[in-house]
Amino acid sequence: MKTILQNSLRSFAAGLLLISASSFTAEAEVKELRMIEAGGLSGDSIEKGYIEPFTAKTGIKVTRESPAGLGKLRAMVEAKNLTADVVELSSAELEQAKALGLLDKLDWDAIKPDPIFPEAKMDEGLGWQYYSTILAWREDAKPISTWAEFWDVEKFPGKRTLPDYPAYILPMALIADGVKPQDLYPLDLDRAFAKLDQIKEHVSVWWQAGAQPPQLLKDNEVQYAVSWSGRVTDAEGIDYTFNQGQLDLTYFAVPKGIDPERKAAVMKLMHEITVAKNQAAAAQVVSYTGPSEGLDPLLPKDRLDTYPTVAKNKSVQFLMDPKWWYDHADEVEQRWQEFKLGL
Amino acid sequence: MTELASAIPRDNERRGLRLPGGLLQVTPAAVFILLLFNIPLLLMLSWSVGTGDEPLKYFAALARGSVYMKVLGNTIYIALLTTLACCILGYPLAYWMWSLSPRRQMLVLALVVLTFWISILVRTYSWIVVLGNDGVVNRVLRWLGITETSVPFLYNQFGVIVGTTNVLLPFLVLPLFAAMLKLDRRLLQAAESMGASQATIFFRIFLPLTIPALAAGSILVFILTLGFFITPAILGGGRVPMIANMLDLLINRMPRWETAAAISTVLLVLTLLFYAAYQWIEKKSRI
Repeated sequence: MKTILQNSLRSFAAGLLLISASSFTAEAEVKELRMIEAGGLSGDSIEKGYIEPFTAKTGIKVTRESPAGLGKLRAMVEAKNLTADVVELSSAELEQAKALGLLDKLDWDAIKPDPIFPEAKMDEGLGWQYYSTILAWREDAKPISTWAEFWDVEKFPGKRTLPDYPAYILPMALIADGVKPQDLYPLDLDRAFAKLDQIKEHVSVWWQAGAQPPQLLKDNEVQYAVSWSGRVTDAEGIDYTFNQGQLDLTYFAVPKGIDPERKAAVMKLMHEITVAKNQAAAAQVVSYTGPSEGLDPLLPKDRLDTYPTVAKNKSVQFLMDPKWWYDHADEVEQRWQEFKLGL
Repeated sequence: MTELASAIPRDNERRGLRLPGGLLQVTPAAVFILLLFNIPLLLMLSWSVGTGDEPLKYFAALARGSVYMKVLGNTIYIALLTTLACCILGYPLAYWMWSLSPRRQMLVLALVVLTFWISILVRTYSWIVVLGNDGVVNRVLRWLGITETSVPFLYNQFGVIVGTTNVLLPFLVLPLFAAMLKLDRRLLQAAESMGASQATIFFRIFLPLTIPALAAGSILVFILTLGFFITPAILGGGRVPMIANMLDLLINRMPRWETAAAISTVLLVLTLLFYAAYQWIEKKSRI
């Protein structure tokens, strides 16, 4: 009697072990990754350029969700309930996320990247997409080429739309005021806000979504806009220039506390992002470009002018300094709100 | 009279009997609200309280920070103007509806209720088509030669108030219309038979009797405007900051949740105060 009980208990325990072991292996085998990205055409370009080859190689599906944001990342890491394995962050957000301890370090040995620009290879983030903040205008408005002209509402009359993000407009204000791009940092905030005061009454919309500037231009709500490059370079009826544009890049990062197996899968996805051929495919979808150094020859010849990182465009632009923006985030945001409220 | 007196306790009895069953029926909903709404709300309140020897530091920062106070003030100002606009448009509308034949009343009522079926987003965007620089109104004005350049209707306070008033008008009209229907028409007939003019009847009987309903509806509109997000974001052009948009910035972009929690707490307390006033007026108006 005793042995029967013992035996049955033993087999029961063995069964439990077996079940738990099998569920463990089921968990270890990653079938699907989840990604939070910015959405729009940029999201489509991730699908075409990187997810398709990744799924073809590994059989792992990738589900995308948008929009991205630091708030989402903080919520899921602090709740210890990760609903995504890889998240897109702007360069300044990456600094903030690092400081808040929200990110896992990337395993660059596992990624085995193809040659990429140095600023794209960070401990916590892979810079995957370059974009620019540039001047754009309606074709029937007088063409402009510099920030000084953008500020000159006498010679170039018309309404303006400016980003509701200080990092994308304060440097331009300083350049319009005569500061050389290489002397921008540390930013002279007093001077920048004083310059913005001059144009404030001609700004009809402070935009928050990248889709707004091209729409406002098309609707004839405004004649001149500060816009993200990919939104206007292929738009009809809109002219643009990369001259004095601000070049920036967004990163992919991994939330803290991710399961190691899932992280390993993300590293494989990240390798695909460093492949120049894949970046060229993504650039067909939207005119933003990846971090490969030898990308130019792979891009379509007829659209070369629309890409932010081709030699001709990269040379007339300046890079933003995410470290400075992170260090001064609170101060700038406070002053930005005060400026908009007219305090 | 005796009949009425004996009916009252019986009614109470019936209510007393029905209560436990009713309680049982609301339990799932109550648990649902408790778990999914009240507990997160308490957690949010706990965010607003700092740790250590300075538990009120986020609230103190709010009081010091002129930005937050200005945005809060601006929100209340917009809410007041919206309420005023709703009263000016809503009272005559409700009065007109009241004066119609029952069949026409149903028709107009259906038109008012219909607006609830159209998404706020769609109704907000359609104002761009109507009032934008190249919108219908501006084209007509230019065509008629009244103005040479476009009138900036949108992307300012006016645009936001047009949008919020449009969305919130039914919230004032419906309860007001209901109160008017409940009004005893014999009072008006009595006044008329005594020889009062239409104006006297309106100002001395109709208006005083419907003012409590108007006040209650106004507070409802005011409270709802305080939390508006989409309409100011679209029609304000980023130039009309309201508290909900500020919260979005603090939660999603900064992310500074402690400050956001403190602002939310202030907003919640304000709203509860106004709601208490609403309840008080509602009760008064029923008597």
